[in-house]
Amino acid sequence: MRDLFKAEFLRFRTWAIVFAVVHLLVLGFMTRVVDLAQQPDLVYQVIGGVYVLTGLLLGMYQMGGYRRPNAWLNLLHRPLPHWQVAAALFAAGAVLLTIAIALPTLTIAIWQKTMTARVLDTRHLWLLLSALLIAWCGYLAGGYAMLGHKRYGASALVFLALLMASNAVGLGAIVLQLLVLAWLAIMIVSAFKPDLSSPPQNVVGIVATALPLQMAGWMLFMLICFGAELVWIMQGTHPNNLPTPIPGSAKEADNAEPKDLIIAGLRNSRAADAPLWREQAAISDVFQMATNVRWNPVRNELTNKDPMEFDDDTRRIRWVFSHDSMRFEGYSLADFRAVGRLGVDGDGAFPTPPMIGPMDSLISRDTVFQYDSDAKLVLPRLRVPAGETITSIETFDERILLMSDRALYFYDIRELHNGDGVLTPRAHVPVPGKTGNLERVDVMELLDGYLVSFVYSRYSHNGDGPAFQEVLRVDEHDRTVSVGRRELGIGYGPVFRYSNWYISPVLFKVQKFAVNLFAGYVPVRDFQRPPVLPAAVGIAVGMALLSLIGGAWRLRRVAVSMPARLAWLVACFAIGPPALFSLWLLYPERERLDDLPIASAATA
Amino acid sequence: MSDFVIETRALSKRYGSKLALDHLDLQIPRGRIHAIVGANGAGKSTLFRILLGFLPPTAGEARILGRDSGCLTPDDRARIGFVNEEHTLPGWMPVSAVIAMHRRQYRRWNEAAFASVLGHYHVLPEQKVGQLSRGERAGFNLALALAQGPELLVLDEPTLGLDVVAKRAFLESLMYSNASEDCTVIYCSHQMDEIERVADNLIILERGQLKNMSAPEDFCARVTYWVADIPFKGPDQQLVPGLLQVQRIDGLHHYVVIDQDEDFGEFLRAHGARSVQSMPVSLDRAVNGFLAKNHAAPAAA
Repeated sequence: MRDLFKAEFLRFRTWAIVFAVVHLLVLGFMTRVVDLAQQPDLVYQVIGGVYVLTGLLLGMYQMGGYRRPNAWLNLLHRPLPHWQVAAALFAAGAVLLTIAIALPTLTIAIWQKTMTARVLDTRHLWLLLSALLIAWCGYLAGGYAMLGHKRYGASALVFLALLMASNAVGLGAIVLQLLVLAWLAIMIVSAFKPDLSSPPQNVVGIVATALPLQMAGWMLFMLICFGAELVWIMQGTHPNNLPTPIPGSAKEADNAEPKDLIIAGLRNSRAADAPLWREQAAISDVFQMATNVRWNPVRNELTNKDPMEFDDDTRRIRWVFSHDSMRFEGYSLADFRAVGRLGVDGDGAFPTPPMIGPMDSLISRDTVFQYDSDAKLVLPRLRVPAGETITSIETFDERILLMSDRALYFYDIRELHNGDGVLTPRAHVPVPGKTGNLERVDVMELLDGYLVSFVYSRYSHNGDGPAFQEVLRVDEHDRTVSVGRRELGIGYGPVFRYSNWYISPVLFKVQKFAVNLFAGYVPVRDFQRPPVLPAAVGIAVGMALLSLIGGAWRLRRVAVSMPARLAWLVACFAIGPPALFSLWLLYPERERLDDLPIASAATA
Repeated sequence: MSDFVIETRALSKRYGSKLALDHLDLQIPRGRIHAIVGANGAGKSTLFRILLGFLPPTAGEARILGRDSGCLTPDDRARIGFVNEEHTLPGWMPVSAVIAMHRRQYRRWNEAAFASVLGHYHVLPEQKVGQLSRGERAGFNLALALAQGPELLVLDEPTLGLDVVAKRAFLESLMYSNASEDCTVIYCSHQMDEIERVADNLIILERGQLKNMSAPEDFCARVTYWVADIPFKGPDQQLVPGLLQVQRIDGLHHYVVIDQDEDFGEFLRAHGARSVQSMPVSLDRAVNGFLAKNHAAPAAA
């Protein structure tokens, strides 16, 4: 095993060294130009994509070479268990990737930590580990794509899609990557056998291969639906692309002028003042807002949605937030020397990492801080109750509107300018839905309070949310009543709306679970999924029955044991068409001799 | 311990609508060198892949060294050497590293056998495998296989693409190695001169079926070559007993027939032959004639 490892290491050693040198030069150039530790998400995604692609190509090239019949025979026909051969080859590839990817990134990190005043937290070291892990994941996926049967080898790429779509944060992301790595390793060991054309030989291998394949089937169906939607859009009959939105629809509400939306929301209102408000709406300024804090930083998360830094142009200082110290670390923009720390009210630690907001504000999960350049102080100024998470902050005339996942708070902006304490809200309105579904909020000031319209229509098109508008009135005594509510039309029938669900309700749940594993609570991903329509349930049951019939038909033509046959039938019904899809691809039709027309030799 | 190194019963393998192996019943006894010949597509490589567990059979049983082919263990594989026509070795590795790897992997490594075979070639330890000539690589591969101390050595067209000198060196290194005497060798080749030199037993496969299993000289003795001076048209080919090949050259009819004695001369005379002459054939001619009989040809030919 050691010899095989060494042999394989030697095979790509030179390429790995060349890659590492070029990689180091590129990172070295980038780090002279920008702070690589404080880049927006997109930059890390692009760099991570390059690492995954590197691993993928290495795996495909390496295993593609061995997959030729004679090479495969020569590789496996030796007195070693097959898993040991696999372990030797893939361990060599993993070490080569470590040299090519981890060494240069670690070198740059050490340089940044020791030779600059820039912030380099422990989380950045985890990020380097994560970069290596996703490269390894790509490598195993590429290897499996070559080793697995051509009918289903590409199903390993599902895991790369999962890594891209995952909402896991911090060490949770590392754990997820390790889980993916372990799963891919099981798939490879189960595929690493002399007869590459046969399905895995044990239950663990079959389950490990079938589930990603089923998920690939689910994704394939989604792609088909997407293609159908494009055709729909091209035809000009798609509800989102009609010249005039359907009256009373979510689309119409999404696009409406604020005053028109308030009027529409009050159309069926039984409030005594509703006619008066409608008239006022036609002539008043109505302020429109939406969720604009879509990212709530979490301590030790691996990447930032946006750089966690701001410049004090007066003092020529750049303040960069450190997750380790939970304070801002400053360095001079003039000579790049460290200039000290900036905490809450002096040197206090921030309770949660803040993001940079408007008006010199720093927004943490439940508090808005204000930076005073003259005093070089950060003070808490707005705070939502414990347990709430800030989702939006706006100014409207003399008001500050601060929205959390539970309420909208109104503050007087003059108090912000005239004092330095924590402000008390003048009024608040509980929000009538989940932040993930909130499309827009429209606010109209009354003589004795406010009218606030909430439109919840986001993700209603695919069943992940309701579609309604609710208008609330808050008076001068901070009492809130609902003065109007209407359901909005969606415009999509159940066939389109629940296409991601009825094809396999089980896999729908699984993908939601997998994507949000280790994600923590994020308001913009908090949905209120209404009950599935009976029509969609009917389609799902119909599909499960069709899948069961198809499975029974297919199982008569493949060679599997009776327990496996029963398990597949259960899977076809419970999981639906994706299970039938995996059964079809995993098990080729049993070869028979009795239906051979004329026995004639094939090229051997 | 089974008396046969290879044993198949009704072994069939189907590729689409074609049969590569057609209910093959084959028992190859231990010891000696067994040559397997057959036209391209006769099922030789398919047979080896099934025997080594790299291809599932459509039907039937296949056993190698007494073990079901689908259940070979690492120890079983240590007892079976395999050399293919590509001599697939890691081209990026130095020869010495490949030797060291095999030495550690095979418990029964025979250094003397290795040296005796490799001695026929000018291979340097520091050379990379990719730098070896095709002949050197073949010799190196054979040396590795024999040094493993296998009970069964399968050589699948090992001299394909080698020049005359390299081919001779390969055969000599195989024939004069003591290691080859201790194991059963299955030699698959299209080169009849090689088979004539090395084989003790000749196995002919045709369209996935066993057609012959005997000593090469016995097979040669079954095939005879007749030249007959027959004016005008000869006898209808359908009536010629044991006919393998017929040609008309310079007015003379040349027949290659199998399992015919002197009565065949009488048959020719009865069909108008003015003179008849018979002669033995080489193994090459005998096998070629045998295999050409059923070889596919255009309908008009």
